[in-house]
Amino acid sequence: MSSTALYVLVAAGLFGIGVYGLIIASHLLRKLFAINIMGNAIFVLMVAASAPLDGRPDAVPQALVLTGIVIAVSATAFALALMVQLYRVTGQASLEEDPTEDD
Amino acid sequence: MTEALLAALVFLPLLGACLLLLAPSSWRATILLAVTVPLPFCLLPLTLLIADAGLFEMTLAGHPAPLGIRWRLDALSLLILWLNVSLMILVGLAAGARFAPASDVGLRFWPLWLLLAGGIHALLLSADLFNLYVTLELVTLAGIGLIATGGSGAALRAAMRYLLLALMASLLYLLGVGLVYAEAGTLDLYQLGETLEPGLLPATALVLMLAGLLVKSAIFPLHAWLPAAHGNAPGPVSAMLSAIVVKVSLYIIWRLWFWTAGDWQLPAPGLLLGLLGAGAILYGSALALVQKRLKMVVAYSTVAQLGYLMLIFPLSGLLAWQAASYHLIAHGLAKAALFVAAGNILASLGSDRLRRLAGLDQRLPMDVFALALASVSLMGLPPSGGFVGKWLFLRAAYEQNAWGWMALVALGGLLAAAYLFRVLALTCFHPRSHGHSTRLREPPTLASLAGLLLALAAIALGFASAPILALLEAAWPGAMTP
Amino acid sequence: MTDLAVDVLIGAGLLALAWQTIIGKSLFRGIVLFVVFGLTMALAWARMGAPDLALAEAAIGAGVTGALMLVAFRRLVRIRPEQSAQPALRRSRLALPVAVLAGSLVAVIGLAVVAVERDPAVAGQAVAQALTDSGLGNPITGVLLLYRNLDTLLEVAVLLAAFLAARTVFGEDEARSPTPSRREVPLVGALLAIIVPLTILIATHLLLAGSREPGGAFQAGAVLAASGVLLVLAGRLQPAAGLSSWPALGLTLGLMLFSLIGLAVMAFGAPLLALPGLWAVYLIETAMMLSIAMTLVLLFAGASGLRRGSP
Repeated sequence: MSSTALYVLVAAGLFGIGVYGLIIASHLLRKLFAINIMGNAIFVLMVAASAPLDGRPDAVPQALVLTGIVIAVSATAFALALMVQLYRVTGQASLEEDPTEDD
Repeated sequence: MTEALLAALVFLPLLGACLLLLAPSSWRATILLAVTVPLPFCLLPLTLLIADAGLFEMTLAGHPAPLGIRWRLDALSLLILWLNVSLMILVGLAAGARFAPASDVGLRFWPLWLLLAGGIHALLLSADLFNLYVTLELVTLAGIGLIATGGSGAALRAAMRYLLLALMASLLYLLGVGLVYAEAGTLDLYQLGETLEPGLLPATALVLMLAGLLVKSAIFPLHAWLPAAHGNAPGPVSAMLSAIVVKVSLYIIWRLWFWTAGDWQLPAPGLLLGLLGAGAILYGSALALVQKRLKMVVAYSTVAQLGYLMLIFPLSGLLAWQAASYHLIAHGLAKAALFVAAGNILASLGSDRLRRLAGLDQRLPMDVFALALASVSLMGLPPSGGFVGKWLFLRAAYEQNAWGWMALVALGGLLAAAYLFRVLALTCFHPRSHGHSTRLREPPTLASLAGLLLALAAIALGFASAPILALLEAAWPGAMTP
Repeated sequence: MTDLAVDVLIGAGLLALAWQTIIGKSLFRGIVLFVVFGLTMALAWARMGAPDLALAEAAIGAGVTGALMLVAFRRLVRIRPEQSAQPALRRSRLALPVAVLAGSLVAVIGLAVVAVERDPAVAGQAVAQALTDSGLGNPITGVLLLYRNLDTLLEVAVLLAAFLAARTVFGEDEARSPTPSRREVPLVGALLAIIVPLTILIATHLLLAGSREPGGAFQAGAVLAASGVLLVLAGRLQPAAGLSSWPALGLTLGLMLFSLIGLAVMAFGAPLLALPGLWAVYLIETAMMLSIAMTLVLLFAGASGLRRGSP
């Protein structure tokens, strides 16, 4: 087995773990772990999927992933601030609805 | 020269956002005007150009695709650009009354507002799948930031749910983009239309991108995040979110479907997408009928009205294309009017519960009138813009003997009439004893005027159909490859 | 053969760390594991022949994200100490089958892509050809700053949008309450005097190296942010409520300079965003580095501005 195929399998595993975490986690911080892990899995796939150029990996997907990493950290930073404020206002750091609040 | 106009559409808002953060507070109103007012004047010559040439392309950074990125303007992107610029001005008036630019809360609101606009413009021009991803993220983050300015627990929770789903959706889209690149070696939407052959891998990539975009467009059954987010945001924000933000991801789906995968022949998946649209119309309308709050009625109405935009896939032809594009614009204006008026009502009453609205037609006549006019367009009554869209859908379905879709469009109109009449009837209902007892804060005249102007625009669109439909006809990709 | 063994080890480590991050009992431990996961990810990138991504992952994916998560966790604890310790998992019968299905689907897709022998991508070849004319040695910097620089420009706008969005929900108390007067730990001053200039040096090196070797504005910005974070932690910089002028300038510098240069070239007949030379690349990268660092430090401080604290 080539190491590319190996990393593809690892990415698949990471993606599955991320999905699992997203479903079972109720704390938002954990959901953010899960989403970031899924993101990493997809970044690996993007780089692994493209054919190498003169034995070196194609630069384009790498540049795209670099952009993707920065966007992921931006979104995570906003999500963390939102989580803290949600906790401050509602006392909850999860998305489970407070049945008394709606309507 | 044309290049400079397109650049202005994207960079005026982006630089405006930076300047708002830097300038003294007393300058902010001037900066906002200075970056907003030129936008329609940029669009005017572009409109003449597109009417004449049909298409304008420009290479960015001097590197043609596939190495670089290009922008591409056609009638569809032009029309949605007009919609966004109109909303920026009219909804902006309402927002200006609520978020005074010089105030502290204004400094939180307006830079995000401009980033949102710049992101939407960049998205509408971009011809590159990955660049579209970046613009989508810009639109999403700025939009959700604007929801969070609402500040209530419900708004924050809705913003958080929207953010998590949007992030997952982006990842799906991104995976699709990665696969497309691996398969075809380019990311240019239109070059892909020529090189990408139908096959298992490209199809998988298309499904992944579509899935992500459907979540972002809140298409049934992936709509669950929308009502809370649009129902709890501040009025002007809800207006932008419902009128344009959910549409731009759908716009990308259209591009992918009719340009990138234009000659793939996909009747069965097209039917499936159409059925999702049908589900959206029926389910969204049904839930709009039972809501207790005005803004939630309007939000569920968005879920329903987005369904029409999916009918283009099974009906797939020039008429359906014109119908869907027209509906997109008409719904944008009408829905913005509804949310602005609803926001005004909520701000004056301190509540938007339907039973509190009784007798409001005498107390807030302008807002209720805006509500009624916008409803006329949303129901699809002549002579409104909404009527033209629905009429074209009916004709498209009739020409293909698609009786089921005809019935759906008619039923959707009836349901819209039902949930909107319910609101209007309650509003104009005058019980003797109560209704006038609660104190009322008059909304700013400018905010009411903005709602009214938006509603009038939605009606007036019905009279401007001929030139718009002609523009759209030229942009229909089916015309190029019959 | 040993090569593959190393990859197997890294892969297994990644999976184990991810799993522990998700299901571990304590959130704090989860954050620590997440950072270790990020660092292992950086190793994986290095093994996959992507040193730029390895640097970015270590600095941004593990470092910055981890720091932001830790500070968010600290704020949760400060608001209501008793609740944030709750184990926050719920049971779901659906979770495992859905996760396995999703993972298998991704595995099938991924292996199907890798299995096919393909010609190198057209765009990738174009990059390799164009790069020789540009004077840049690092193709990734070429893609980010010369060929697809609209992506990069908008990405800087995304970072600004994320900061502004976060700013709408920053708690007021963070900036208003003066940081508890801490006693100056001996040697902190001396330590800062060494570390801060050192990080600035590393950041500058990463920035300049980015034209030929792995590195660039984003990695450099993250490293520079680290020294800012240290200064915040030591109380030398303190959160301030208002958006004062120099942090605002720092926030917007990258986007503004990039946009203005990109627009200005049009006056000379060049296409939009066609950067006029390597000096422009360096100038823009420096501005972006400063903006990224400022944005990250402000996000860490949870405030709109910074003011000088008492040493």
